[in-house]
Amino acid sequence: MAALVLLPLVACLVLAALTASRRSPWLCRFGGLAAAATALGSGIALSAAVLDGPPLTAGGLLRVDALSAFMLAVVGAVGLTATWGGLPTADAPQQDWLFSTLVALFLGAMSLAVLADNLGVLWIAVEATTIATAFLVGHHRTRRSLEAAWKYVVLGSVGVAIAFLGLVLVYAATVAAGRPTLSWIVLTQGHLALDPSLLKVAGALAILGFATKAGLAPMHSWLPDAHSQAPAPVSGLMSGVLLSVAFYAILRVQAVVNPVLGPSLMRGLLVTAGLLSLTVAGGLILRQRDLKRMLAYSSIEHMGLLALAAAAGGTLAIAAALLHVLGHGLAKSSLFVVSGRILTAEGTTKIADLRGLLTRRPGVAVPYLAGMAALLGLPPFSLFFSEVAIVVAGFQRGLGWVMAVAVVLLLVLFAGLARHSATMTLGTSGDTPARVASAASPDPASHGPRAPLVLALGVTAVIGFTAGPLSTLLQQAATILAGGR
Amino acid sequence: MPASVFAQLVGLSAGVLLLTSVLLVWKRSLIAAARLLAVQGFALAALVAVIGVNDHDSQLIAVAGLVLVLKGFVLPWVLDRSRVRTGAVREETPLLNTTAALLALSLLTMLAYLVSQPLRVLVPGPTTAAVPVGISLVLYGFLLLTTRRHAISQLVGFLVLDNGIATVAFLTSGGVPFVVELGASLDVLLVVLILRVLTSRMTAKFGGADLDELMELRD
Amino acid sequence: MNAGAVVLAAVQVTAMAILSPLLVGLMRQVRARLEGRVGAGVLQPWRDLRKLFAKESLQADGTSWVMAVGPVVLVASSALVCVLVPLVGTVAFPFVPDDLFVMVSVLLLGTVALALVGLDSGSAFGGMGSSRHMTIAALVEPTVLVSVYALSIPVGSSALSAIVHGRLVDPASVAAPVSLLALVALFVAVVAETGRMPVDNPSTHLELTMIHEAMVLESSGRDLAWLELGSWMRLGALLGLVASLLAPWGIASSVTLVTLVVGVLALVVKLAVLGSALAAGEVFLAKLRLFRVPELLAGSFVLAFVAVSASYLVVQG
Repeated sequence: MAALVLLPLVACLVLAALTASRRSPWLCRFGGLAAAATALGSGIALSAAVLDGPPLTAGGLLRVDALSAFMLAVVGAVGLTATWGGLPTADAPQQDWLFSTLVALFLGAMSLAVLADNLGVLWIAVEATTIATAFLVGHHRTRRSLEAAWKYVVLGSVGVAIAFLGLVLVYAATVAAGRPTLSWIVLTQGHLALDPSLLKVAGALAILGFATKAGLAPMHSWLPDAHSQAPAPVSGLMSGVLLSVAFYAILRVQAVVNPVLGPSLMRGLLVTAGLLSLTVAGGLILRQRDLKRMLAYSSIEHMGLLALAAAAGGTLAIAAALLHVLGHGLAKSSLFVVSGRILTAEGTTKIADLRGLLTRRPGVAVPYLAGMAALLGLPPFSLFFSEVAIVVAGFQRGLGWVMAVAVVLLLVLFAGLARHSATMTLGTSGDTPARVASAASPDPASHGPRAPLVLALGVTAVIGFTAGPLSTLLQQAATILAGGR
Repeated sequence: MPASVFAQLVGLSAGVLLLTSVLLVWKRSLIAAARLLAVQGFALAALVAVIGVNDHDSQLIAVAGLVLVLKGFVLPWVLDRSRVRTGAVREETPLLNTTAALLALSLLTMLAYLVSQPLRVLVPGPTTAAVPVGISLVLYGFLLLTTRRHAISQLVGFLVLDNGIATVAFLTSGGVPFVVELGASLDVLLVVLILRVLTSRMTAKFGGADLDELMELRD
Repeated sequence: MNAGAVVLAAVQVTAMAILSPLLVGLMRQVRARLEGRVGAGVLQPWRDLRKLFAKESLQADGTSWVMAVGPVVLVASSALVCVLVPLVGTVAFPFVPDDLFVMVSVLLLGTVALALVGLDSGSAFGGMGSSRHMTIAALVEPTVLVSVYALSIPVGSSALSAIVHGRLVDPASVAAPVSLLALVALFVAVVAETGRMPVDNPSTHLELTMIHEAMVLESSGRDLAWLELGSWMRLGALLGLVASLLAPWGIASSVTLVTLVVGVLALVVKLAVLGSALAAGEVFLAKLRLFRVPELLAGSFVLAFVAVSASYLVVQG
């Protein structure tokens, strides 16, 4: 069983090493995909194992409970969507070995982050994701991507360094309580007498640091740049699951701090961050002129919503938040993959230059509309159910006015995203000669594999309705965070 | 090691750390910055070694060696190579002039003392009494990051921030577990190397590493 | 105790009155020799004073009694500073408390008197020199206060004699890094206060670069003699303060003939060493542009501030 825990990590490392040394065309093309598939497979297997039995451990540093197994499955699923969907067609420029190596390392680092029991190892993995994605963001070697990469690395590393300071102070508190440890299970279940005032500073710093990595306002300024300048599959991975992994770290820290200090500190911090993120995203969504930047701001919105769910706390809110993580990850990565295809087909991602896509290029416009419907939270997609559940849970847990403000902001964002999407896809294609010519013969090609998009959006559509093992898994994960087994 | 000697040595290394940080903010020369960071690395390694000798912890002394190599030699060397690549010698136009920056340092030092009060009350002793120095370094690093416009200066600020966090870690708990320490050092080294590559790409694309050139992405 | 303290005070004032011009002469001589010149000799300032005292002091049209009174106030304040600072002995003068704040206030009295003399003639250079002088004084005063305060924390009292006595009794506190930091800050402040390089060039002939010289341009004869003597005594007293804090050995703790002689000899040696070192350093420094001076003084203020916080650190821990 311990082997199953180590499998995704070993697989990603091996794939990265092989791609870097052998540089065979097959590995360059499918290396990332293989890593994502391994992560998904182990995630599902571990979820099954953990549902029936106790949490698995490996080596004292790793521990798999229901939450970790679920997050690993999310990493794998979103990773598979992004890497498979991002496979270039035969006539497009192929990915080089560095790209595939870094993607494999990126997936490995995220898997390590969700499988870690030791908070220090969690921190190392989160920093490793920054390192792995630095050159992925700057892959295109243009001035803008260089600017985006610089801001991303500096802000990300500074934020994560602040989180490290918080973890150091947590460790100091455990030393003062007589049992030096950074193990999450010991910190939450070990009944250590941690000093409240020290833990207050430590918790605030750790949350601040991981919130920077999760793209919560006011530390979000790197996110639109990095996610818009990176290649499409990388943006899909970053928006879809890296932000959620940082959110997972916030949840783990919250579970350590709340038993000692009560929920008020974390609630205050997370409500502020959540509402600010929603406001920032809502305020700037209408001004967006670039498709990928618009999707990045939508990610900020959803992370804000997740922060509000974490602030509310309780089984319903956390389970809904985890479902939202899955749904948002699949929908956002599909949308970024489609945006990459639009870029290849049209040569631009400027919203003003993309007109009438539904008539001209139905092969990319239809997946785009489906993905956008999922992202906007229309039923039957699971985001509808998770957003409703989060709002209801917020009202139940005493955050009534916060949720009311959030709903208003969500409506603003709905309007903005819908408007931009309508501009791009519906109606005629404008009156430039090239467009008139191409309007006569619509291009049905999908510019990339259809299967991953169908699978991803299909799962998102279906999963809101199915009960069974997934809901049990989510409930178990939520109970763990609230201080259960 | 007798208690008064221990307190004096801890005070001495903390004092050198603080002095080098003040000089880093005061002087705008980037050549001096690399040397001052090296001195800061030596002081930090000395601090760790003193704590290790006092606690009879051989692992901590090994960590002191790691800190000395990494922060005293490798990181300042990488920084200096990056600076040579960009061809810059001084920080020309900081957002905050020197006098205002120096006065801001005094305020930040007071803030550091206020913030570290709960820790000093909880665990009285010569090591925790020096924690404000570590937090001051973190705040000075933030000041450098936000008010300097050259890429190398931001790198210097990041390294000062990291030194401050390391100082707090070693003073409050004798360091974090060895695995975590190793991973964290590796991460810092890799981040600095990445920033070095980005700086050389920036010099190639923009003709200099002035961050004012990076203004194309905005809403 | 009273009689002994009064004797000590008299000895300090007389010694500084005699030694200050010699100190300045020594500094000029060291600088000349290092620059490859023969130099005018160590006694030249005394010869200048003798010449000036013999001359009549002319007062320009439009000047007032300030031109005559100002120099005397300067000399009186400098003499009082020589009484308050423990140069030869640490026995406190009973009639004026030798608290840190009192010393700084008395110094400020002399500064203001000199500035008023510069303003009184109504000339442009005099006004310029006075305004620059007051700017620097405003920036220097906090640094002097904070750096000596840092040194007073281990002793627990801000009386200068108590501080020096504490350092005499406990040699380890002299070598403590906190005290070194505070002394560096104090030294920078003293250099700025007394108008030495790199803040002001005492041998400049270019009026636009003058700070101290510009204020005494219009004075002549006895007035000029008093102004020069007053400034030299301030320099001697402040350098003596730094020397006493840096190397307190030889300072008399009680007033007897032997201890006084030893104290005066120790003072001579310390002033000579410190003055020569300062003069030698001046040869290698260029004068700072005026708008760079606040940077230098802010930096020394931060060093002093850091010394204060660090000394609380050592006391608590």
